[in-house]
Amino acid sequence: MKTFTVLLQKEFRESWRSFKFLWMPLLFIFLGISDPLINYYMEDILNAVGNLPDGVAVTLPEFAPIDILKASTGQFQSIGLIVFVITAAGMINRERQSGTATLIYVRPISFIALFMSKWTVASLLGIISTIVGYAGSMYYTSILYGSVSTMAFIQMVMSYCVWILFATSVAIMFSAMFKSALATTFTIITLPIATMIGSLIGKYWSISPWKLADYSVQLIAETENIYYLKTLLLTIILTVLAIIIGILFTRKNSGTTKI
Amino acid sequence: MADINWALIAPLIAIQVILLIVALIDLVRIHATNGPKWVWTIVIILGNIIGPIIYFIFGRKTS
Repeated sequence: MKTFTVLLQKEFRESWRSFKFLWMPLLFIFLGISDPLINYYMEDILNAVGNLPDGVAVTLPEFAPIDILKASTGQFQSIGLIVFVITAAGMINRERQSGTATLIYVRPISFIALFMSKWTVASLLGIISTIVGYAGSMYYTSILYGSVSTMAFIQMVMSYCVWILFATSVAIMFSAMFKSALATTFTIITLPIATMIGSLIGKYWSISPWKLADYSVQLIAETENIYYLKTLLLTIILTVLAIIIGILFTRKNSGTTKI
Repeated sequence: MADINWALIAPLIAIQVILLIVALIDLVRIHATNGPKWVWTIVIILGNIIGPIIYFIFGRKTS
């Protein structure tokens, strides 16, 4: 436990020095508030730069709050997720490759503590970013479009956080398994790209962690979804599995550290 | 343009400015970057919001 606390402090110091806890939440706020604003000013934007010929009438759809939250979730799932998992996918292997890890691995540390300290910091970063991002999105949505039920909103954010925990665990698992370029590639394929593919052809299977974000937004509409609980459960199981595999590989690959 | 409510847009601009300033401060203080520093200066300044983010992900050299 003492090793864990020390390693955790080291991780926090490092994230603090690289400003991660500043720019990641700011990026998510930016992604969160840009969609309500762009949709609100769409008519002005089209008039200003759209180059429409005279007489063309564009009727824009009326957006409900849930549409805007869906659009913001789409932003988090594409740009936000890519940026987040790239950061997480470098956490263990970068230290191995730069040789920093030598100083840690020569000591009799527990690899569980090592892995979990990195996982905790990355998860915390993801959860904080998600919460502030959604808070920004909700703030603008409630000003410009109308409000949603507070309980449903909190449920949605928490449910999205479960997905972020899953993404963190998978990214750090790959980080423990491979060298940095390979780990980044695998992480991007299994998380953001799989999400995109899932939203294109995913109607044939209904229970998968990659659907959790979509189901989370549907909680706002308060309709019954029979797959939601199963998806949530599966995601949690896979998260735990990814953590266990990650710890095993941290131990196995500790010999590949550059000295 | 006159009817645009600047109070709504201000946070977007504020986020961009904060990211720009923090990235530039970090660029000045950091020992070495991946690639020449002047390129990163251009990327950060001209890259809108993505510029500073790309710098933070790929530009910082940690050793």
